[in-house]
Amino acid sequence: MASGQNPLADTGAAPSLRRAARRETLVRTALLGATLISGLAICAILGFLLYFSLPLVFQGQAGEILAWRWRPFQGDFGILPMVVGSLLLAFSALFLAYPVGVGLCGFAFSQQHHPWGRLVLAVVRLMTGVPTVVYGFVSVFLLVPLVRTWFEQGTGFCWLTAGLTLSILILPTIVLLIWSQLEQTTPETRLAAIALGFTPSQEVLWVHFPQASRGLAAAAVLGFGRAVGDTLVALMVAGNAPQISTSPLDALRTLTAHIALVLATDSTSLAYGSVFASGLILFATAAAVNLALRRLKAPPP
Amino acid sequence: MARFLSASVLIMLMAVLALSAAPPTRAQEAPLTGFNNLEGNIDIAGGTAHIPVMKDAAAAVMKANPKVRITVAGGGSGVGVQKVGEGLVDIGNTGRALTPQEVEKFGLKSFPFAIDGVAVAVHPGNPVGNLSPQQVQEIFAGKITDWKAVGGKEAPINLFSRDEASGTREVFWEKCLKKGPVLEKANIVASNGAMKMAVAQDPNAIGYLGIGHVDKTVRAVKLDGVEPTQENAKSGKYPVVRQLYMNTKGEPKPLVKAFIDFILSPAGGQIIQKHGYILLK
Amino acid sequence: MHRCLSFGFTWFGWLAALVTMGAVGIFVGFLGIKGLAALNLRLFFGEASPWQVLLGTQPAVGGLWPACLGTLYLVLLSSLLAIPLGIASGIYLARYASPGPKRLFGFAVDLLAGIPSILMGLFGFALILLLRKTILPQANTGLLLSAGCLALLVLPYLILTTQTALEGLSPTLHVAGLSLGFTPWQNLVHILLPAASRGILSGVILAVGRAAEDTAVILLTGVVANAGAPQSLTDKFTALPFHIYYLAAEHRTADELAQAFGAALMLLLLTASLYALAYGLHAGIAKKWEHTPIIRP
Repeated sequence: MASGQNPLADTGAAPSLRRAARRETLVRTALLGATLISGLAICAILGFLLYFSLPLVFQGQAGEILAWRWRPFQGDFGILPMVVGSLLLAFSALFLAYPVGVGLCGFAFSQQHHPWGRLVLAVVRLMTGVPTVVYGFVSVFLLVPLVRTWFEQGTGFCWLTAGLTLSILILPTIVLLIWSQLEQTTPETRLAAIALGFTPSQEVLWVHFPQASRGLAAAAVLGFGRAVGDTLVALMVAGNAPQISTSPLDALRTLTAHIALVLATDSTSLAYGSVFASGLILFATAAAVNLALRRLKAPPP
Repeated sequence: MARFLSASVLIMLMAVLALSAAPPTRAQEAPLTGFNNLEGNIDIAGGTAHIPVMKDAAAAVMKANPKVRITVAGGGSGVGVQKVGEGLVDIGNTGRALTPQEVEKFGLKSFPFAIDGVAVAVHPGNPVGNLSPQQVQEIFAGKITDWKAVGGKEAPINLFSRDEASGTREVFWEKCLKKGPVLEKANIVASNGAMKMAVAQDPNAIGYLGIGHVDKTVRAVKLDGVEPTQENAKSGKYPVVRQLYMNTKGEPKPLVKAFIDFILSPAGGQIIQKHGYILLK
Repeated sequence: MHRCLSFGFTWFGWLAALVTMGAVGIFVGFLGIKGLAALNLRLFFGEASPWQVLLGTQPAVGGLWPACLGTLYLVLLSSLLAIPLGIASGIYLARYASPGPKRLFGFAVDLLAGIPSILMGLFGFALILLLRKTILPQANTGLLLSAGCLALLVLPYLILTTQTALEGLSPTLHVAGLSLGFTPWQNLVHILLPAASRGILSGVILAVGRAAEDTAVILLTGVVANAGAPQSLTDKFTALPFHIYYLAAEHRTADELAQAFGAALMLLLLTASLYALAYGLHAGIAKKWEHTPIIRP
């Protein structure tokens, strides 16, 4: 395929040129090969998840797994409580982090020529480098005792603690995406806004945010994706009780934590199948998030 | 410059000290000779009550035999059975006896090495020091939700339980809860060590863990007036008791056999007792 | 009304900044104070002497040394696997791929980037299960498997940064090379890649940082709590992030807790400095090309 597109191939040119042409073909093929391997990786992950979870469907056990109770000793293997747990935790983290992220961007924009504004942005950038396990670790020793003594109820390992920790984790994702949108505003727009006598805050709020509405939505979607996919914070501080939490002080278990907790048990029972079903749900969520992001990134119709 | 000099002198001193460190004591030396001429890896996984013993034994063996490499992982008894059965590790530890199905399915061979009771644990500041099995069952079933109902101060009871792979959970569930229900609200922790830490930090907590893991950071509650000690567990006065096992798939290979022999030797016995477990004999 | 709103927004911005900075400050301060107290030679080598550990005559029982080595090996191995593959794919997507495949691969790469890391671990675990059932009954979880799954995790970072770095170059650069009679490959090697090298390098550093910090992947693919330094690719191993996770729930003594804080601080410093370096390189690119007229297609 490559040789057909190569203008230097098969033209009876000098040997050195032919050599160069051969090299071009070789390079092209090698690069294509590398790309195919990368592409195959994603197919392999999906393939494995399907391979291990589809038997559940064909053996009619899907109903047992998509149920509301997880009590392995009594033979109940429902993972819906974990689905709810994942959603509750991700949305609450987003609910906490998103307004702060938007506010932070407004601050950074209005102070962008001031050291404070740059400092805040630099700190937010560095926050992306904090390992998730370190967030979980500090939360276990700082936030958990605080929540426990403050509310005098529950163990401190709960939805609230995990939600707070997770919101710090996804904050930089949200801020940096919105900021990249603000950075793309053209000088003309800025000048027009300033000429109209807008303060920086007014400018952000009435000019740039409406322009970047898709970016704002994308930030929320990406933040949600990051929150759903996190394992360590949920595993370390959410308490892992397989129940539907009704209060922020209740423990909950996410799909990711469920995989980590259950994977090692008996490979013949349904508990094992539930792990791959959880994986499939997570994969579908990631794909949905990705599709939404693509749609938001595409130019408006 | 002076600082550099003193630093290098310090490093040299340390090296000399290290190289002239005392040879291992005789008590350790004798059983460790079983490893002579053996080298390779031993992977251990499973029961979390075993971890302190396995870790120390592994350290002693590796120190005396640098060519032997031992890894110790947790996971719980279920993991131990599963992994050793599938041949993923060499020794799978369980804090409960194997079921006949497990023995048959995987061809496992058990090596019991210690006795360990399972105690109900609360925060050391909790005034409740005695519970009946009935009360424990009702607490874990969610029928009793306040410490006041069992003689404590007025505070909600925070339940801690273990994951499905736990042998401690199975023993506790069978022998203390009489296979009664455990509330789904209970926080799940993944090991004996994590249970101890969770209960030690929470004034209103109740959980259960191997007596070997009990120390002064938690209070082990009497069951019908019987103190949960390893002595009472061994004599049968304390009912919630199990043995700790190492399991191999078929006959262990020589290196693994040497390790098991070391655990069962007097030197291994010292390590077992150091961590609060009682020997079988 | 509008004025009120934007006034409120200003104050809200300040509040958000203050809250965030406060949270980060408390977070770093807490870890710093607790962690600094634990940083000493014993933290790394336990009871053994550093020299003997470094010479390999003694295992570092109770120290962080095996975990540090484990993380180092993981990072090296996964880099070895992912960097050539990632950069090559990035080059292909930026310079060779026609629009159709480019869209398709672009989607796959984005999807890979968005997949929760625990799924990479699950993939590795399932892979071993399958191998054992079929062609390789002695396959087992271990260093190589973990590194392979980590490589998958960082692959999209490498592809995307390489692609962006190359696509961000001025088309004039491209034309300059071709007008000199370069073949596309020569053009790439002698002009485009050197010009994009900082961007690509920042991607590599980000990937290294990500491989060093991820816990969920190795959790399912062969990490154990207690292991000496790994001797071979199939050995079980221990690594810094897992060590922190493990000790957070299982520390038995005050010493072990202090060790956990020391390890957490170290890992934080390691990844934060890697990320800072990557951002620095990135900011440098913007400066370097600031005065070059860049014509975007």
